[in-house]
Amino acid sequence: MTAEFLSANHAAATAAALAGRANASARGFGGGVYPITPQSECIELLCKMDFTGPDGRSRGEIVRVESEHSAMAVCIGMAQAGVRTFTASSSNGLAYMTENVFAAAMYRLPIVMMAVNRTLGPPWNIWVDHGDTLMLRDSGWMQFYCEDNQEVLDTILFTYRLAEDRRVLLPALVCQDAFVLSHTMMMTEVPELEQVERFLPLLDLPHRLTHEPVTVGGMDFPHETEIHRHQHAAAMAAVPAVYRECQDAFEECFGRRPADAVEPYRMDDADTVIVSMGTMASTVRAVIDAARERGEKVGALRVRMFRPFPDAELTDLLAGAKRVAVLDRDISLGKGGVLWSELRGAEPRDCLVQNYVIGLGGGDVRPHDIQNLLDDLRGRDEVSAPRLMEVAP
Amino acid sequence: MVESMEFRFHGRGGQGGVTCAKIVAAAYASLGKSVQTFGDYAAERSGAPVRAYTRVADQPIVNRNKVYEPHHIVVLDHHLLGAAVFAGVRGGGTVLINTPEPAEVYATQHPELTIGTVDATAIARKHGIGSRTVVIVNTTIAGAFARLHGLSLDLLRETYERLGFLSNFDAAREAFEAVVVRPVLGAARSAPAHDGRPAAALPPVEALTEHVVSAPTGLQTGTWGTQRPQYLEKLAPCNAFCPAGNDVVEFIQSLHNDQTGQAATILGRTTPLAGVCGRVCPAPCMEGCNRREYDGSVNIRGLERWVADTTAVAWAKPTPDPKPERIAIVGGGPAGLSAAYQLARAGHRPAIFDGEAELGGVLRTGIPAYRLPRDVLDAEISGIVDLGVDVHCGAFLDRDALAKLSDDYDAVILATGLQKLRDIEAPGNDLRGIEQGIAFLHRQNMQGGVHTSGHVVVLGGGNTAMDCARTALRAGAERVTVAYRRTRKEMPAIPEEIDEALQEGVVLLERVAPAGFTGSGDVDGIDLAEVEMGPPDDSGRRRPVVTDRIVHLDCDYVLLALGQSADTSLLPETWELRGEQLFRRDDTPLNVFAAGDLATGDGTVTHALGSGRRAAGLALRALGHDVQVFERPDRRTAVPATDIRVDHFARRKPEHGTTLSSDDRLHHFDEVHAGLLDSGEAHRCFSCGHCTRCDTCLVYCPEGIIRREAPGYEVDYTYCKGCGICVEECPRRAMEMIES
Repeated sequence: MTAEFLSANHAAATAAALAGRANASARGFGGGVYPITPQSECIELLCKMDFTGPDGRSRGEIVRVESEHSAMAVCIGMAQAGVRTFTASSSNGLAYMTENVFAAAMYRLPIVMMAVNRTLGPPWNIWVDHGDTLMLRDSGWMQFYCEDNQEVLDTILFTYRLAEDRRVLLPALVCQDAFVLSHTMMMTEVPELEQVERFLPLLDLPHRLTHEPVTVGGMDFPHETEIHRHQHAAAMAAVPAVYRECQDAFEECFGRRPADAVEPYRMDDADTVIVSMGTMASTVRAVIDAARERGEKVGALRVRMFRPFPDAELTDLLAGAKRVAVLDRDISLGKGGVLWSELRGAEPRDCLVQNYVIGLGGGDVRPHDIQNLLDDLRGRDEVSAPRLMEVAP
Repeated sequence: MVESMEFRFHGRGGQGGVTCAKIVAAAYASLGKSVQTFGDYAAERSGAPVRAYTRVADQPIVNRNKVYEPHHIVVLDHHLLGAAVFAGVRGGGTVLINTPEPAEVYATQHPELTIGTVDATAIARKHGIGSRTVVIVNTTIAGAFARLHGLSLDLLRETYERLGFLSNFDAAREAFEAVVVRPVLGAARSAPAHDGRPAAALPPVEALTEHVVSAPTGLQTGTWGTQRPQYLEKLAPCNAFCPAGNDVVEFIQSLHNDQTGQAATILGRTTPLAGVCGRVCPAPCMEGCNRREYDGSVNIRGLERWVADTTAVAWAKPTPDPKPERIAIVGGGPAGLSAAYQLARAGHRPAIFDGEAELGGVLRTGIPAYRLPRDVLDAEISGIVDLGVDVHCGAFLDRDALAKLSDDYDAVILATGLQKLRDIEAPGNDLRGIEQGIAFLHRQNMQGGVHTSGHVVVLGGGNTAMDCARTALRAGAERVTVAYRRTRKEMPAIPEEIDEALQEGVVLLERVAPAGFTGSGDVDGIDLAEVEMGPPDDSGRRRPVVTDRIVHLDCDYVLLALGQSADTSLLPETWELRGEQLFRRDDTPLNVFAAGDLATGDGTVTHALGSGRRAAGLALRALGHDVQVFERPDRRTAVPATDIRVDHFARRKPEHGTTLSSDDRLHHFDEVHAGLLDSGEAHRCFSCGHCTRCDTCLVYCPEGIIRREAPGYEVDYTYCKGCGICVEECPRRAMEMIES
């Protein structure tokens, strides 16, 4: 384990390469890639990586294609052949890729994709907004939202083990905030290949292609679709238990424990709770610390795993809450924040849940912005429609 | 060191500001500090203002916000300095600036700050980092940073080695040594101690509001452009090539916009003979036309005729000049008419003298009616005379009369043309039936009813030869042969005239020269010697070399069209023609100016028009009037065809209008050409160098900062980076990049 000074984009590429090399003695590593700001740094580094095996033969192939749609198509083909696959995208690139994003999940392929959250255009905006990956909420992929550089690297490794587990066999989307995380450099612990090999078993896809030609993804009749969806839903349902096993394994191999699906902060006796995702959670913690110093009973929850949605964990953690602020760096137009609408129902009876849509399009959400909404929440007797907050430029 | 420090870096895309922040963070990381560094990006490219931030702390860093209240700032380009750069800087902090200016300049403005200056650009350039024009200063200024913040050179070297920048370390060391700090490092500060509050007020935090949209901060991306586009009206080749100085491109663009009246007005500034030129001009403008090699020149001559034929010639009565001059013009041909027109338009009273019974000169005596109908000529001459011109026809002036004219008038313009006809020195040249073509045409044009028969041979290759040949056919000749000593390619006649003559049945014999005539009394044959083409002469045409190989041709009539020259023997003995003005033998200038073929010998209507206009200006200027004398523009400055974006233009052949069939037209002198049916040909004009407000610049501007603003466009230079795409894409090069 060495500490390296890396951007989170490079941390993701480094993790993917490690996972890939760890599969060298099986069917190797690969993926189709297509650049898009702010993700390009990741695949640029990946394209420079060497995957030559000890026998001098290539054990990895990164294919540069002409579009995101094809990038995912390459991943699908490789994954069906049993290759450990990776790609990365963002924003409108994901929108263009979407058809094959669904296909990857329906094929039950354990592809890992890193997505840098970026505002969907037009008009064009390259900064952070969670709307792009939340658009893929129903695609059948697992979704994780990271808070810092180390978590990006760790989650790439973590999700390979989770995705490839035979009880799961689902693709995983590892999300990070544009620039705030993707381009920010911090010291990052990079594990040795041997550690990764210990953590990640070789990929042995049960339904991988063999020398016998078959048609995949042909035709489903209603009763077959019902069965496929049932299986898919069951796999999602199996995730939390496998997740906890992976946490244990990860801690054993690397000496640090990945955060829970929902990460609590100073939740003991908290009657007021702020729920958020991504890097905003760091800013929220600073506000919680200040409020606690004033003697206020406040706490925070960070939703790290968005799919499958951690209903049970949230219900447990919010049991004592009286007021909950849900921060959304996204908006489902015509409804409100996506996290907020997902979370509704997990709160206890007589709990006030207010949605704050904040930091859209990459606005820098600062401590006083969080404090503003905390003040707003405290003054509320009843819930209103989601509030759109503007942050100072 | 304080528990935590925040740095803000201000640079431009391409200078490496983000990497500079990374170097600083990496250096502090080596000291065991927690570090964080990130750039603040926009969708901007090279040259855009870019910020980067570095946090250094003893504790783990969890702050994910940008840096709003930096302890220290680093400015990689001093042109960025302004309120935005200093915003939020904490008192007692440091500002490191890449600038050739001394530190004192900034230290007095910001007494609460420590200022460091270093000319990192010069140092980096000296060490060859980046290119000579785009110098990458990040690794250099980081050396100055180390000095300012007490980081050792050893630490810096180790950092550079780790990051792969070791080759730039010498530049960093030089900056380390060169940085100037005010107040000097370690000196006691008089400024108030840092109280942790920002030095400059931050914008107030917006209230919790619904549906409020904050405008994004605009990056003034125009500030780093070194060039900028400018709309320019440039010389179109048609204008450059027109000897009359017509504003061809503008009159055609008026037609393009269906403004025929405006087209007539534009032509009227330079020519009173649009109907004439629209028929008989050799149209040098069409030789210059940039469309020529693409799909054929715009039929400018046809369009000029269309304007004349569809708009009534009725010039507005001129306002008299406060000091009207009496100017005599000798010669009523196109040069004299042009001079008279310009003088009358300017409010003077010219008098025109001509030996013929009517004005028009060679237009009337030389050019047959099937090319130039007399009603067209008469109408345009009337238009000129009606402006206020005294006409004295049938007045052939001898030497004495000319000298008297000079005394009686304020000025005299001589436009007597080419009176001396070239004869032929060959045996038998005195036989009957050998006639000068000019005299032949004069007879037909002035009296009519000329009859020819049998085989007519015309000697020569110019327009007179073609006119003779075609007139002879119409006058009854059974066949007509034109014998020319060079090849068709070298014939000075208008190519269309040659084509039409051949269509009508004229036979062309190339590379023959007359060696003698046969016959007793009347000519009955001609001996033609074969000519070989020798090396080119001064005009670029190959010099003909006459051989002794003779062919004999039976013929009944011979017309000589071998060229004309000025007859200076008609001038008073004490006068001498020197270019455009006449002088006495004792070098004193006369009030006499020459115009048309007498001055230039160019031999075309359009040259005569330009020359007459110029002579009018010269005469007025000599009389003390502040007038602009017409000058031919320099053709070399015209927009070249390579500047035209032909991709913007669909290929379309020129319109030629309708023509009488060659069988039909031989029986009379009716006009052969009916002219264009409409002015649609104007739509083919590229409008070289003249903006047509086609919106291409606006559409292609990647920044979207060109907008329509009468009469053309306006570029928002605040955001124009000077990429030059608008200029490159302009279909007609009505824009250029200029240094900003």
